[in-house]
Amino acid sequence: MPPLMEVDDLRMHFFTRDGVVKAVDGVSFALEAGQTLGMVGESGSGKSVTALSLMRLVPEPPGKVVSGDIRFKGESILRMSEKEQGRLRGDRIAMIFQDPMTSLNPVHRIGRQIAEPLRLHKGASKKEAWGAAVELLAQVGIPQPAERAWDYPHEFSGGMRQRAMIAMALACDPEVLIADEPTTALDVTIQAQILELMREIQARTGSAIIMISHDLGVVADIADHVLVMYAGKAVEFGAADEVFCRPLHPYTWGLLESLPRHDADDGGRLSPIKGQPPSLINLPSGCAFSPRCAYATERCCSEAPHLVEIDSGHSSACHFSADKDFLNRSPHSATGKL
Amino acid sequence: MAEAPEQIPGERSARGAGTDSSMGRPPLSIAESVGKGRTLRGDAWRRLRKNRLAVAGLVWVAIMVLLAVSADLWVPRYLGDPVDIDTTQAASQSLQPPSWDHLLGTDRMSRDIASRIIYGARASLLVGAVAVGIMLVIGLVMGAVAAYYGGIWDSIIMRAADIFLAFPYVLFAIVLVGVMGGGSPTNVFLAIGLLGWPGIARIFRGSVLAVRENEYVDAARAMGASTPRILFRHIMPNAIAPLVVYATMSIGVAILAEAALSFLGMGVQPPAPSWGGMLSEARGYLFTAPWLMVYPGIGILTTVLAFVLLGDGLRDALDVRKKE
Amino acid sequence: MLAYIARRVVQMIPVFIGITVILFLIRSPAIVPGDPVRMIVGERAISQALYDQVVKENALDKPLYYQYGRYLTRLVQGDLGDSYQLKRPVTHILFEKLPNTLKLALVALLIETVIGLAAGILSAVKKYSFWDMLVTLSTAILVSVPVFWLGMGLQVLFGVKFKQWGLPYLPVYDMTSRDFSTVVHFIMPGFTLASASMAYAARITRSQLLEVMGQDYMRTAAAKGLSRRDVIWKHGMKNAMIPVVTFLGMDLGAMVGGTILTEMVFNWPGVGLEIYNAIQLRDWPIVTGGVIVIVFMVMIINLIVDISYAFLDPRIRYTKAVK
Repeated sequence: MPPLMEVDDLRMHFFTRDGVVKAVDGVSFALEAGQTLGMVGESGSGKSVTALSLMRLVPEPPGKVVSGDIRFKGESILRMSEKEQGRLRGDRIAMIFQDPMTSLNPVHRIGRQIAEPLRLHKGASKKEAWGAAVELLAQVGIPQPAERAWDYPHEFSGGMRQRAMIAMALACDPEVLIADEPTTALDVTIQAQILELMREIQARTGSAIIMISHDLGVVADIADHVLVMYAGKAVEFGAADEVFCRPLHPYTWGLLESLPRHDADDGGRLSPIKGQPPSLINLPSGCAFSPRCAYATERCCSEAPHLVEIDSGHSSACHFSADKDFLNRSPHSATGKL
Repeated sequence: MAEAPEQIPGERSARGAGTDSSMGRPPLSIAESVGKGRTLRGDAWRRLRKNRLAVAGLVWVAIMVLLAVSADLWVPRYLGDPVDIDTTQAASQSLQPPSWDHLLGTDRMSRDIASRIIYGARASLLVGAVAVGIMLVIGLVMGAVAAYYGGIWDSIIMRAADIFLAFPYVLFAIVLVGVMGGGSPTNVFLAIGLLGWPGIARIFRGSVLAVRENEYVDAARAMGASTPRILFRHIMPNAIAPLVVYATMSIGVAILAEAALSFLGMGVQPPAPSWGGMLSEARGYLFTAPWLMVYPGIGILTTVLAFVLLGDGLRDALDVRKKE
Repeated sequence: MLAYIARRVVQMIPVFIGITVILFLIRSPAIVPGDPVRMIVGERAISQALYDQVVKENALDKPLYYQYGRYLTRLVQGDLGDSYQLKRPVTHILFEKLPNTLKLALVALLIETVIGLAAGILSAVKKYSFWDMLVTLSTAILVSVPVFWLGMGLQVLFGVKFKQWGLPYLPVYDMTSRDFSTVVHFIMPGFTLASASMAYAARITRSQLLEVMGQDYMRTAAAKGLSRRDVIWKHGMKNAMIPVVTFLGMDLGAMVGGTILTEMVFNWPGVGLEIYNAIQLRDWPIVTGGVIVIVFMVMIINLIVDISYAFLDPRIRYTKAVK
């Protein structure tokens, strides 16, 4: 049986006046039912564009899938008609967006917005859908849902809005839930609540989740597998424990280093990755991370590494990931943090 | 500052990479536009040149200005006098349709219409330029005083601006000129200028207020720069872009207003040629000599359109956001 | 809400007073040349006694501020004075004409809304297409065309030429006749009055819709599985229309104030034409009274628009309720 969702060497480029932006440039992964995949990386690493591509929500033009495939239950989403894609969206695959402030329509009532997918996909009557919306609001922990369904988005707090967004995504009981930075715009305490809610939902509904975040902590909390992205490419992929305890790619090391830690011996100083992510129009030759990599060699600057499986199910796109001595120089090799 | 940690920044816009550049384009910051005045102007010019409609507008304005300025040199000799009537053959030459002798025909008084159109352009452009000049002077002074002195001055001036804006523009221009006695270009300049200042004042006041809060103005003042110096060195460069756009559009509006006033017999008085006045005359011959009404109308339309297109292009090129 | 309305009304008062000051001044001897008594009685020979009586009746011997106070007091009581020529109360004359002006403005608003919105939506949905270019160019032309020329052109084409060619034509000359209020009489003047406005309406609709189409909630709607069409109509339109409706309301005010040229070209018996004729006759009470009536209408319309804006946009409603 094919995996629930499968992405195969996806390349999504944007054709702009300034040049071709290779926002997603060769990303592959598979997602099984009930699993959670975490996608991490800095801004502009292509995580969000990947997520939007899965939903076919990237505006085209300027975007264009130049190669690769996205399959849902073995069937190519890219080859579906717009109508078929529409039937999938919001029903089988649903998405939660980053900013609940702007992602809800300000002029429609919360209840109506949650009821909408039900009306669309399940053919529910207005009344049924509204009742279901109230129930969904209750499920995501909105107090007095029957009354609050009549509210407009601006009458909700940030956390409540994100709960409403989640309720909206859950409305049709999707098999895949894509969450694009669902906690970034929220206060820290609310973040924890939302993550807890998502875990709870997964336990209850068994849907697969793709959790996108720049925050490794968020992903570590919830993911079974982790995909690390840099400059549009997957640089490391593996089971969450593996990636966090035995990271193979220097970029992942950097990400882990830049996390605030409580057990730090150096007084809790952060060590951020030096430099800026590269422009996606003019990628450095060789390994895209090489200009920022403390371990880069001449080979890194000329020859681009491919994502290679190092241990079973754990792959990395670094020339030296197979080198034991190299890995011992990792700041994580000794402590095995997280 | 230099050692600011480059931690993974919060990823704000997921679509940043690929969305329409015109939407995502951040407005120029004040510091940027001051610091790089020259390159900004160069950029604006390059953007303007790419806009075909704006270039067409600019070319048309240039042609009109050239015709208007050079008219005395050649128009009376080759096309005929725009005002004086050649009494010897007046009757036979009256209301001629376009021909080789008279490219656009003749009017009731046997005057060459092409000649009158060119002199009409002169009247229109003159009114546009002078009226907008008056408007700019009043508006800049009012705006500067309101913003710079603030308090009661600000309230009075801005209230006055509200009052002027509450009047319907054309109606008030007509009434104002009607009351002032009409018939003199000075009154037309004054009326249009008087009605237009609030827009300029608001824009300039906004620019002054925005810049006044900036540190470099404090610094300049601390170094002993005088108020006019601060105004012209530091504030004007920021205010110039929206002012240029607004003034360009206003010239078009002023030309339309002048045409309307002349049409109603309250602007440029016959026999002096003006497009509005020619249309007023043409009204009597709508059916017998329709060409009389065609060319002055086209003159107004194309000239105003040129200013509108140019203004639109300038707004895009200078990246001025519409403030509604 | 009531407090909000009250505040808006209070804000209007100084503006209205300022307008009355200006209108009072422009008909005072300080600005208008000539003997005010002569303006009232005309050129006929009158006795000194009658002259003095006119001066007294109109408080012309009192200082300017006193005259203004008298003028304002009467104005507030709904007395705009008597017409110099017709010797009738200005209010009576104007209120006979006002319905014609308002009807014309409403017809123009209808034309503006239908054509302006349709063109704006078309050009936003088909951005950068041929249609978009066409709409962009025609709106630029419409704002540049002199309304009186457009009116004349329409008269010649649809009124005269069509008649000559044996086609169905529109009435031109019988605007003031008894049966003038039939629908066909409104078509050309309405279109003429609406010309520039519909261009602005189209531009605002386009830019609003384009802005809305870039909003996050539109993507949310697409993520629910709605078709592009439904995303635009069900989620975009209401958001985009809030500012457009506000514009249309304000524009009704602008059109009420802008009828003068259209009324003149079509000989339309409205307030604008009345003002124009009164200027020719130097009948200042009608001129200033007409302007005051029109400005007052404009202000009332704008107030209503402001209030209805609060009802259209749930966000505003909410903040107002909290305050």
